[in-house]
Amino acid sequence: MGGRTLRALAPLAAVAVVALLPLVVTDRFLLKVFTFAGINALVVVGLALLFGHAGQVSLGHAAFVGLGAYASAYCTVRLGWPWPVGFAVAGALAALGGLVLAMPSLRLKGHYLAMATLGFGELMALTFQEAEPVTGGVDGFGGIPFPSLGPLEVGDAAALYWLVWAVVGVAVLAAYNVTSLRPGRAMRALHGSVPGAQASGVDVVGVKVRTFVVSALLAGLAGALYAGVVGFISPSVFTLTASVTFLAMAVLGGTGSLAGPLLAAVLLTLVQYIDALIPGLPQEASQTIQSYREDIYGLAIVLVVIFAPRGIAGLWSRRGGRGEAA
Amino acid sequence: MSLLQVRKVTKRFGGLTAVDDVSFDVFEGTIKALIGPNGAGKSTLFNALTGFDRPDSGSVVFAGAELVGRRPRDTVRAGVARTFQNTQLFDELTAGENVMVGRQARQRRGFTAALLRLPSALAEDRDARAEAGRLLRLIGIEEWVDVPAADLPAGIRRLVEIARALATGPRLLLLDEPAAGLNATESRELVQTLYRVRDAGITVVIVEHHMGLVMEVSDEIVVLDRGRKIAEGPPRMIQKDPAVIAAYLGEGGDDDD
Repeated sequence: MGGRTLRALAPLAAVAVVALLPLVVTDRFLLKVFTFAGINALVVVGLALLFGHAGQVSLGHAAFVGLGAYASAYCTVRLGWPWPVGFAVAGALAALGGLVLAMPSLRLKGHYLAMATLGFGELMALTFQEAEPVTGGVDGFGGIPFPSLGPLEVGDAAALYWLVWAVVGVAVLAAYNVTSLRPGRAMRALHGSVPGAQASGVDVVGVKVRTFVVSALLAGLAGALYAGVVGFISPSVFTLTASVTFLAMAVLGGTGSLAGPLLAAVLLTLVQYIDALIPGLPQEASQTIQSYREDIYGLAIVLVVIFAPRGIAGLWSRRGGRGEAA
Repeated sequence: MSLLQVRKVTKRFGGLTAVDDVSFDVFEGTIKALIGPNGAGKSTLFNALTGFDRPDSGSVVFAGAELVGRRPRDTVRAGVARTFQNTQLFDELTAGENVMVGRQARQRRGFTAALLRLPSALAEDRDARAEAGRLLRLIGIEEWVDVPAADLPAGIRRLVEIARALATGPRLLLLDEPAAGLNATESRELVQTLYRVRDAGITVVIVEHHMGLVMEVSDEIVVLDRGRKIAEGPPRMIQKDPAVIAAYLGEGGDDDD
């Protein structure tokens, strides 16, 4: 009984910690780090659906983040549209990209799907570079205003943090609803056996396409938030390295879970800014950690796959492959 | 009344004719068995009946509607459910959740309803859970409901797959080697389950190698050999049929004709 109560209280405690953090952490840079953690978490919630539940690999998610970032920047700066409109356009455009990427997923799986999504990511990265009139090319796209809701500009570090995490909260709630009901079972079913899913009347094509679209949409919204928080975007941000990092977060977090990937997203983001978190850390140590970051991710993935195939989620739930571990 | 009419169904793979001009009827409320030596075309025929494979020619009429050309999902929604020779369970889901997925063939509420947690989506979820519990009890394996499919013994996996197929609400249930991997006790229980299913008004077609079981449960048997139908009739007739005896005894023999 104690365990069950704990599990019921854990999400509330997590919400409280996330909501109250800016009252404790007043350092502006540190708050920005936690804001980036939220942006990454938003992407990873989408990947938790796509990879963790439906079993579809994507090595191209940075492309959707980029699509959302550029769409939002273009709408607000060049077209002068209100921020919420740019935010919506960012989500819609990324969702459209997800629809395009869903097509190969209907025929490919495993390594072949990974390669197709990688190709898509690289193609989009190249597009961001070459479409200079729209994206500003390699020089980047600057002067992006802070997000604003009507007359209210969200420019303060704490306000940006709350905006980002509010979006994460809505996304997690929606993702929880989807995974705990029929669509989540359908996703995990087609991960388990496609013929079995077909024979059960599952709309295999529909489930794959919807999951890709939702996953891309969340990445696009994350991109719009990133552009608003940082104010400057360039093609060097939305690369394969970023895609691999997102996937690493989802893998480390574990399959069939939302909480695990969320936690992994936050932890791996913090690793990137370890010097800000531990003020006394010698510069050499932090530089070493930074230069071996990808190797650390790689090693962590290998260790997880060998010792804890269900990821972080599997460590607290003996039955890691359940949707209710959210 | 004939629920399923299989007419002149042919399926070729390259130069091999896996199913060759096969016709038979399945009458409502009966249990029909498809038997034959390995490679006789039984599983290919199942795939052709359920949309997993498209026959090169022929027709399959179920309750008055043509099934050839339909996708698996449309076939199951039309009322034809199946299991697989190699069980196709969802390992990440529990036994109960596996059966709940089968219920999706009858569910209407979509992605958005679930996303918004609408009462209609929640009601459907409760219905699916209740139905899964009922079916697992019908088959006598309710104690496995919360066990992940990956941890189920082979015999229970077969029975869960039958429960999942029943959850789709079929009029016709096709079982591909349901007794494979079952011990003697489980096989006897399977026979009782098959009778319960038939008594619930569901017509059954089984592919099975376990002859004792086939002879006991089936009302009629179709015998296939190298893709062709060589005999059809009630069990007592089939057991005495010279062509059937030759096919089984001469398996891998040299009497080509």
